[in-house]
Amino acid sequence: MKENEQNFDELKKLLKLKQHEIPPPGYFNNFSGKVVARIRAGEAANRGSAYEQVETHSPWLARFIAIFEIKPSVIGAFATGLCLLFALGVALTAKDGAGTNGLMAETQDPAAPAMSLASASITAPLLADGGGGIQISTNPVSLQPMANTFGQANPLFQPASFGH
Amino acid sequence: MTSMPEPAAVPDPNAPSGMLESDLVKRARHGDLVAYDELVRRYQQRIYATLYHMTANHEDANDLAQEAFIKAYSALKSFKGGSTFYTWVYRIAVNKTINFLKQRKNKFHLSLNDIDFNAEHDPDLMALISHKTPTRDVALNELQKKLNEALLKLSEPHRMVVVLHDVQGQSHEEIAEILGCNIGTVRSRLFYARQQLQGYLAEYIKA
Repeated sequence: MKENEQNFDELKKLLKLKQHEIPPPGYFNNFSGKVVARIRAGEAANRGSAYEQVETHSPWLARFIAIFEIKPSVIGAFATGLCLLFALGVALTAKDGAGTNGLMAETQDPAAPAMSLASASITAPLLADGGGGIQISTNPVSLQPMANTFGQANPLFQPASFGH
Repeated sequence: MTSMPEPAAVPDPNAPSGMLESDLVKRARHGDLVAYDELVRRYQQRIYATLYHMTANHEDANDLAQEAFIKAYSALKSFKGGSTFYTWVYRIAVNKTINFLKQRKNKFHLSLNDIDFNAEHDPDLMALISHKTPTRDVALNELQKKLNEALLKLSEPHRMVVVLHDVQGQSHEEIAEILGCNIGTVRSRLFYARQQLQGYLAEYIKA
């Protein structure tokens, strides 16, 4: 360890050369002036820009964006968080969908396994006429596509007559 | 009759050069560019030097240093004062430089600054090069090139620690604060980086 330290001392002596590297003469005389000039130019160009408006109207959002600028690692963390949230949402949706399908399968009448929504809409008005039950569909036009689909005349549908 | 004191002898407490850093930050946050100019003046040399030693290119260091100060000004409203302005702006400059170096990868060329006159009178440096070539300035320039090439072979985090500690003379604590890591990480990176450098510069280091 002692030997290593001594060797590092030699390295440190060598690294001292870096301290003697200097920029061109007068370089720092106008460095801050250039920075301030660029800030002024940027302010003039960005006046009325989207970010400026965000900063004026929603300072909290501007501060939020500024965090990303200062700490780039936060961008990664934020993006990861969003991805996890999205994945969680997809997983929950898939789970809910599976649960609903199962529930529908359980509630289906085993005697009429092929009962569809369309047939339900046909039988509903019949039930309503017969016994005063609850009418599900009040739109007779919705029945028309059924006749067209199967090429059969609908018994509930009377063709219009224009004769006097 | 009492004589008036010389105006030049009395420091003006309201002049930016005599103000505390926290007061300058406060004023700059409200858009006072004179105050911000003073803040830039205070830290420009150290920030530039770090970026120059990291990039080994004067033009890149100049651009990065200017951009770091511009970004710091635009983000000044988010500066909470948890650390000093100096550490905070350093952190911005360091992050900016590391991102730049990742993009630059191997597409770089050396644009080294001149070595000042004092280097030729540094006994440690002269001891290292005296036996290499008879002309001192040629030997110094060759050593400068080798040294910068060796530094560029290190990874960015390792190079940053060597530059901040061994070249800039910052403490482990300050480096840990700037880089956002713990002191143990700084120490281990420094040890590893020195070992690497020792291997690259073996011909200049006495066994």
